[in-house]
Amino acid sequence: MIVATLALLLALPPLIWAAAMFDRIGTGRGAIVMGPIRNGAALMLRPNTETEAPDRLNRLLAPGWYLALALVGLSVVPLAPGIVATDLSTGLVLWGACEALTVVVVFLHGWSPNAPLPLIGAYRYVAIGLPAMLLSMFVLIGAALPAESLSVVEVVEAQRGLWNVVRQPLGLPLFMALGLAITLRGPFDYADGAELAGGTSAEESGPALALWQFARASMLVAFSAMAAAAFLGGHLGPVLPGPVWLLLKTLAVMAATVAAGRFFARMPPARMLTFLWVVLLPLSFVSLALVGVEVLE
Amino acid sequence: MTLLSALARRAEIPVFAVIGTRGLGLAESLRRRPGLRLVDSPRHARVLLVAGAVDGAQKQALERLHAQLPAPRGTVWWQAEPLFARGEVVTGDDPMPAIRAAASADDPDQRPDVPPHPWQGIGPHGHGGRGMMGGNPYGRPMAMTADDIRDGLALDAYSARFGPFLPMLPPGLALDLTLQGDVIVSADVASAPFEQGPQGDAPDLCAARMLRLMGIGPIAARARGALLALPQGSGMRRRLAAWLRGEQVSETPDPLPAALPGLEWAEAVLWLASFPPSRLRAACMERHAA
Repeated sequence: MIVATLALLLALPPLIWAAAMFDRIGTGRGAIVMGPIRNGAALMLRPNTETEAPDRLNRLLAPGWYLALALVGLSVVPLAPGIVATDLSTGLVLWGACEALTVVVVFLHGWSPNAPLPLIGAYRYVAIGLPAMLLSMFVLIGAALPAESLSVVEVVEAQRGLWNVVRQPLGLPLFMALGLAITLRGPFDYADGAELAGGTSAEESGPALALWQFARASMLVAFSAMAAAAFLGGHLGPVLPGPVWLLLKTLAVMAATVAAGRFFARMPPARMLTFLWVVLLPLSFVSLALVGVEVLE
Repeated sequence: MTLLSALARRAEIPVFAVIGTRGLGLAESLRRRPGLRLVDSPRHARVLLVAGAVDGAQKQALERLHAQLPAPRGTVWWQAEPLFARGEVVTGDDPMPAIRAAASADDPDQRPDVPPHPWQGIGPHGHGGRGMMGGNPYGRPMAMTADDIRDGLALDAYSARFGPFLPMLPPGLALDLTLQGDVIVSADVASAPFEQGPQGDAPDLCAARMLRLMGIGPIAARARGALLALPQGSGMRRRLAAWLRGEQVSETPDPLPAALPGLEWAEAVLWLASFPPSRLRAACMERHAA
């Protein structure tokens, strides 16, 4: 357990760096490798901004909570057989709790500066976040059914024969929608979008903004590792050692999530809400029902 | 600390662009310039770039914006007459050297750090509203319940001026809005968008502005998914499709006070961006003249 925790903490900063690099690729800005580090350093040297009558405590804590949720969520992912930081029989439930609390944390981040655009971002995110979380719950139950367990270790072990991405083809794409939502990206970025001038982050600057962006990248890493474990067989794979497989799969999901965020346009929130409840949620029911039928056979 | 400063020295300069008369094309030309990054919020910026002349009537709004950049901050006036004595003036085509210089400047505050209005001290809590809500303390309107225009539920209505330099609105447009959540319940034009000249209506520029609000670039838009993301029946799809084909759009919007109420913020912002700046300006000016 200690080995797994240390390994995760060591692997996280380079992975966050990789996430920031993915975000720069194809933007035509150059400096893909050093750009994020330099910009981060410049941001750390800028002052935090004061707003009028803010909720100081929550404003200070929101980025930290976001980071903490990413770390806790990441801790249930097994790195190799027998090596997992949080060996819970209900790992998927802990991950689900982190997803749900992300909505609360993003709301607090928008609420606390006491300014209109961040607050609009906060409320919109809650409206979109709820159906996105529901969706991921159905999809993850689908991943847990063949394993007959809510433990992420068991979910990975159950994929020795066949990965869930093949067995439940709808699972991973639907789970990606959640990934875009909890990492505030592209089509699901209703909290920090350009139409709100940065939304919940519009009033932040300096270290507070740097930490928020760091936490957002950590959440991308946590989500990608979770998706790799639940649908791509986690650490399973031939020849290479388990942790390397997990790392490669995590990087692949990260790249796919960043690409999906760039490719799909953000709808106005009312339209997205309809799309989520009328199209994506029923699809997740269908996916779950198909998994159920398959397990019964 | 020294390591941080060494790294930070070669960072991109975050620039907030205020777009004035004929400044849209100028600012757009900076988007892919290495060494700087145009940001959406003045809080994220180190340098305030005024691209194109800003009307003297907006001096106070510009001064307030200057105050929103965290100190130390620098100012560059690019093809613009300075409205206050801060920063450097660039008349040529390349503002980069001036922006680099401004990135190590430290403008003194332009406005005193005090509320724009005195505390009013009206009503039981002194804020001028009813109960704990409403009123106008220090000139900041507070939310007060009112009936929602869609279903009549009593929700908080918030009135404030948005613009003239909000990056998601057409440059120069200032709106007096009342919002319930993110739904606009009433709208009035406080000032019309600035003149952008014919290059402001260029299809690629207009399409890029609209796509940016949808979080994608022009390459992703070729897959037509961008059009499906827009609501039907508002003409937004038609206009974006025309721009993506490289055609000019010459539709004029309905007067904003009639067209905006009932729209959500994101929809309203996309709707405004779906008209060429010259037509939008014409629609706002007509109303001012009437």
